[in-house]
Amino acid sequence: MNWTCEQTELRLTDYLDALLEPEQRREFDLHVNGCERCSPLVASVTHAVANLRMLPELETPPRLVYNILDATLGPRETVSGWSAIRAWIRGIASPRFAYGSLSVAATFLMLVTASGFNWKKPKIADLSPVNIYRGTNRQVHQAYARSSKYVSDLRVVYEIQSKLRESNELPSGNEGTAPDSNQQKDPGRTDGTNPATPRQQNRANEVNSHIQVLAEEFPVLGEKLCFVLSGKLSGALSGSSRLQ
Amino acid sequence: MEQDAQLVQQCLQGDGSAWEELVRHHSRRVFNICYRFTGNRTEAEDLAQDVFLRIYKTLGSYRSAHGGFATWMTSVTRNLLIDHYRRTKRDRITDSLDDAMPVVENKQSSARRPDEQALLGELSSQVQFALTKLSPELREAVVLRDLQQLEYSEIQTVLAVPEGTVKSRINRGRIELARILQQMGVRPS
Repeated sequence: MNWTCEQTELRLTDYLDALLEPEQRREFDLHVNGCERCSPLVASVTHAVANLRMLPELETPPRLVYNILDATLGPRETVSGWSAIRAWIRGIASPRFAYGSLSVAATFLMLVTASGFNWKKPKIADLSPVNIYRGTNRQVHQAYARSSKYVSDLRVVYEIQSKLRESNELPSGNEGTAPDSNQQKDPGRTDGTNPATPRQQNRANEVNSHIQVLAEEFPVLGEKLCFVLSGKLSGALSGSSRLQ
Repeated sequence: MEQDAQLVQQCLQGDGSAWEELVRHHSRRVFNICYRFTGNRTEAEDLAQDVFLRIYKTLGSYRSAHGGFATWMTSVTRNLLIDHYRRTKRDRITDSLDDAMPVVENKQSSARRPDEQALLGELSSQVQFALTKLSPELREAVVLRDLQQLEYSEIQTVLAVPEGTVKSRINRGRIELARILQQMGVRPS
């Protein structure tokens, strides 16, 4: 059987709704694949039907049901008391409303807390716009000061670490290659180690002076640094001495 | 289906809550048919209300033996839509297809936009517009088949025409819709 263009147009719906027999479907496909007229027609109709089926189903307008019920059963009796409260809660208990309310409440809490409101001793005066502004301003400035102090502390620590790294690396690099004949031993020294060379000693003094300056400027940080770094420094110095 | 028939019986006995349940259960379907037919939300809402008023008044004429309540309700909706179409035909401005048609400027480039939801919305309005350009006979057949997913036999009952006519209308409606969409620049990729 020779499938024609007219047949293709007439049976297009049967083809799209899968109502053709397998043999007819095969002939349909065979014709469409080789026909310049039918091929774009089938493609465009298939596309149109797919677009139609993608149209979303609309939600019923909220007032429609009430309007219908009012028009058929008559106006409903107004509820009062607990029934009214229950109906009101039922109305707002939709997920969309709950999420919206929660996000508004969370934002409000964050803003009030950020403005310095004391939740343990709440005062009405704290909620006045002027106090909220002052509190927020204060909090912002404090946060800025804290963060800049933190950043500058970090910078100092990194600087010290890099200096320590240099002091650890340089002596071992230069003096480790020195010939054994250059080794000096103090008379009476039995522990097998040599004291630091003048160059190393100068560097250690320099680092210690940095640490002292830090300790004066940053008392808490300085103490910790002195403790940590002096240990590292002595370790580094003794290590480099052993290499010699 | 049986539940609907039971609710109808309760309604006929004066049970208001049964009627309310029927309205809540079917209002979305009726509203969507009206909207897809008219392309206008307000008009669709008014028409859906009229449909339920008519159903309420003629509920006694429903016989479950003649088919499901949903099919009967769709039939009432269709008759009211056709009445409405005929009534407002004179009032409607017969606008030219080319004048009012929203044209997709560049489908290929717009398809690459990140906001696919917006594109989908745009495409939906294009398809809806094209749908309202079909003749009412073709439009109702296409809406019932492709949007309401009704079987041919159900459409035959709703439209009260032979199955061959149903198929022919759906076929012509789809081809015409594709032609209008092509004119609007909505082409298969």
